[in-house]
Amino acid sequence: MANVRLLDKRRKSIRNIRKITRTMELIATARFKKAMDRAAAANDYTQRITQIVRDLAGAGLEVSHPLLAGRPEVKSATVLLLTSNRGLCGGYNSSVLRQAMLRRAELNATNTGMKFEVSGKRGISAMKFRSVSIDQSYTHFEDKPAYEEVAVIADRLMSEFIAGKFDRLDVVYTQFVSVSKQIPQVETLLPFAQPATQGSTAESAGSTGVRADYEFLPSAESILEEVVPASFRVKLFKCFLDAAVSEQIARMVAMKSATENAGDIIKQLSRTYNRARQSRITQEIMEIIGGVEALEG
Amino acid sequence: MSEMQCVIVTPERTEVDVRATSVVLPLFDGEMGILSGHSPLVGRLGYGELRIKLADGVASRYFVEGGFVQVSGDVVSVLTDRLSDCTKIDRQSAEKALDAALSIPATKENAVARDRATSRARAMMRLVERK
Repeated sequence: MANVRLLDKRRKSIRNIRKITRTMELIATARFKKAMDRAAAANDYTQRITQIVRDLAGAGLEVSHPLLAGRPEVKSATVLLLTSNRGLCGGYNSSVLRQAMLRRAELNATNTGMKFEVSGKRGISAMKFRSVSIDQSYTHFEDKPAYEEVAVIADRLMSEFIAGKFDRLDVVYTQFVSVSKQIPQVETLLPFAQPATQGSTAESAGSTGVRADYEFLPSAESILEEVVPASFRVKLFKCFLDAAVSEQIARMVAMKSATENAGDIIKQLSRTYNRARQSRITQEIMEIIGGVEALEG
Repeated sequence: MSEMQCVIVTPERTEVDVRATSVVLPLFDGEMGILSGHSPLVGRLGYGELRIKLADGVASRYFVEGGFVQVSGDVVSVLTDRLSDCTKIDRQSAEKALDAALSIPATKENAVARDRATSRARAMMRLVERK
């Protein structure tokens, strides 16, 4: 019964692992709260810029911009994939990757040219494993993506789109809906969906607010020229924020279940350990009694 | 004096949300002052100094870098990419920014970026000169 010591050793090592996973869970929880606050703080800007676009549309302005114009034929597409830099976050990366591979197969089927841009080490190594060539990769986005860093990418993408280097931009990321629901999805950001068309009908019907005649300085067209790129930048930034929040949630959940699982295993091992210990003691007693009996006899 | 609400937001967060008596904004072609009861307006911002005067007479100054302003009812919303504290900008950093901006090669691709960087640096210089 030499495995008593072995069982004890295993139990100890699992206890250590549980300690680590619990710490990681706590860290993920703290980061999630911060990321969540950032995402909530960013909402204000989005709302106000949508309001401006709506007012522009309300002023009877024909909303047109090169970023809004759809291309009749999609000859080449750019796919931007947002993954995490670190692992141990459950199915977070694999579910985003699955979406990306599906989109890739779709594009391949229609013979569309493709460019892959990947953010996050996990995505990069997964793409390498699948021998997909990556055109651009970013690893500097952690749990707090900065607007300025995202804006650089957004500006480059916009100028390439306007120059006609690609006809569509798909962003594959995990959308944050609520704490218990995150959806990995593919969203087409370019050509840019007009933000006003999504909410305007519902909003204007319900709004009792002032339908004011705005004065536009210098002109409505000039403001539109600036508003569309700004809302695209903010939209892309929102994708990064959502991905960051979702990553922390995924890690939190994964580490929580790992901690629970470690607890279960410890319980099971303890039971086996106690049984083994008990049977060893019994056996030893039997041996002593046997010895005594032999002496007496 | 009557008050209005002044909100400054960047893509990352809401920076300022105060009751103010007057707001002076750097529009793309010059400064503009807004008092309570201003007619509705949407304007494009340039680079420069934004001054907010609070009800108790205290003025705060910020440096805004582009964006928009919307005046609607008694709310002035300023949407800008970046907001910094005016007191943090000194001659040295302004000169450095101008040098960096002027050293961008004036090619066709860089034209927009160069333009933006120089006007930003010039605005910083103006701010420093005024001090």
